[in-house]
Amino acid sequence: MALDIDRHAHIDSSIQRWDPRFKIVSLLILMFSIALVKSIALVLVGLVGAVILLLLSRIPLVFVYQGMKWIVLFLMPFFVILPLTYPGETEIHVLGLPFAVAGLRLSAMIVIKAVAIVLIAYTIFGSRRFDINMIALQRLKCPTVFVQMILFAYRYIFLFMEEMERMDTAMKARGFVKKADLYTLKLMGNFIATLLIRSFERTERIYKAMLSKGYQGEFHTLVEFKAETRDTVKAVLVLALAIGLFGIDMMAVFPKAELAWF
Amino acid sequence: MHISDGIVSGPVVTAGFVGAAVLAAATMRNIELEEIPKISVMTAVFFVIDFIHVPFVVSSIHLIMNGLVGIILGKRAFMAIMIGVVLQAFFGFGGVSVIGVNSVMLGGGALLAYGIWQCRHLVSFANRDILFGGLAGALGIFFSGCILALALLSTGEAFLVTAKAVLGYHVILMIIEGAVTAACVSFLLKTSPHLLAGQQPSMTTG
Repeated sequence: MALDIDRHAHIDSSIQRWDPRFKIVSLLILMFSIALVKSIALVLVGLVGAVILLLLSRIPLVFVYQGMKWIVLFLMPFFVILPLTYPGETEIHVLGLPFAVAGLRLSAMIVIKAVAIVLIAYTIFGSRRFDINMIALQRLKCPTVFVQMILFAYRYIFLFMEEMERMDTAMKARGFVKKADLYTLKLMGNFIATLLIRSFERTERIYKAMLSKGYQGEFHTLVEFKAETRDTVKAVLVLALAIGLFGIDMMAVFPKAELAWF
Repeated sequence: MHISDGIVSGPVVTAGFVGAAVLAAATMRNIELEEIPKISVMTAVFFVIDFIHVPFVVSSIHLIMNGLVGIILGKRAFMAIMIGVVLQAFFGFGGVSVIGVNSVMLGGGALLAYGIWQCRHLVSFANRDILFGGLAGALGIFFSGCILALALLSTGEAFLVTAKAVLGYHVILMIIEGAVTAACVSFLLKTSPHLLAGQQPSMTTG
């Protein structure tokens, strides 16, 4: 699982050079627009848009695929549950069970939406260093406390991930095998408690070191953003797509996914 | 377990964001500087615990432990979980449009767990901390399951069976998380009781 989503942030591309403030705002709006659209045709347009943006960002597709495959796997049950349980009469039967095409359409739309939105998330957060994106968030008037907590948590996640792997190795080395019993659950509880104690002790030292260096609840940075005309143009293009999708959906040009494919 | 993008309808998405904003504003008042790293630590632990799998019959279940976050952070647990949900969305696990819904679902469970955890002061018997810790862990996640099922139901009747399946899954999860939380609380009581929220019988500690 790729936690360092900004691993390929150094790759130069038109998306990478895009002012992160404009990038975050316009692409977030596009995400919401895709999430709220109700017809398959429009969702597909959104997906094409997301793919184009990802290709423009030149983030290696293998990297994106590795993260995506779990999400798609996680969504697969919808293809089984929704068609079989969709309310109403159906003509098609599979293995004696009623199979509703409407349910299949609904699950297809959900999966396409999820994929499109994750691709856009990769475009935003994969094309610039994470800290720079967070500074951009702060410049966008996102509360400082909130951004601070995200930055701290971001740092700690990698630290604790390693810690957890070490503890896991230590347990395995002593012959622990997870089983479906109460003893395993008790040990998992102790495992989490140990992780907590270690984490708090460690971060307390980090925090004291920061305080002694004058930390007052804010990181000062030399990063400056300068918007140029082409940043605005890119944002306008993305916003046009977002508003277009949402507007056409509101006008009900295409039928809802429950009713028809296109 | 989180709800993914594109399932719930517009009104549910909006309600999620409104609910999350209200809860965040209510639980974040008078925040002190030294609380920021503590909340972030809990966010990171909450995030990392998501990767722990527990075997269950033939398959395995991954832990959520939002109840534990409530037991440790008290009312600040909501913000810790909300940031966890935001990071999850930023890291490409999906769920950007449902950050609000997911925060209310998991963070609300954490707040409920804190409430239950504090109720232990009302009784007095030998293992009350462990019992209430387990209850808080179990009901915290069950609350999340109920909110998830509600969000699905209010989206459309097509999700009726899915919502039932979700509830069933959370009943299993409830038993597992209850046991793990109880074990965790009992361990922390013996080693570092200061980490647990509300060790004095007052509702004001955060």
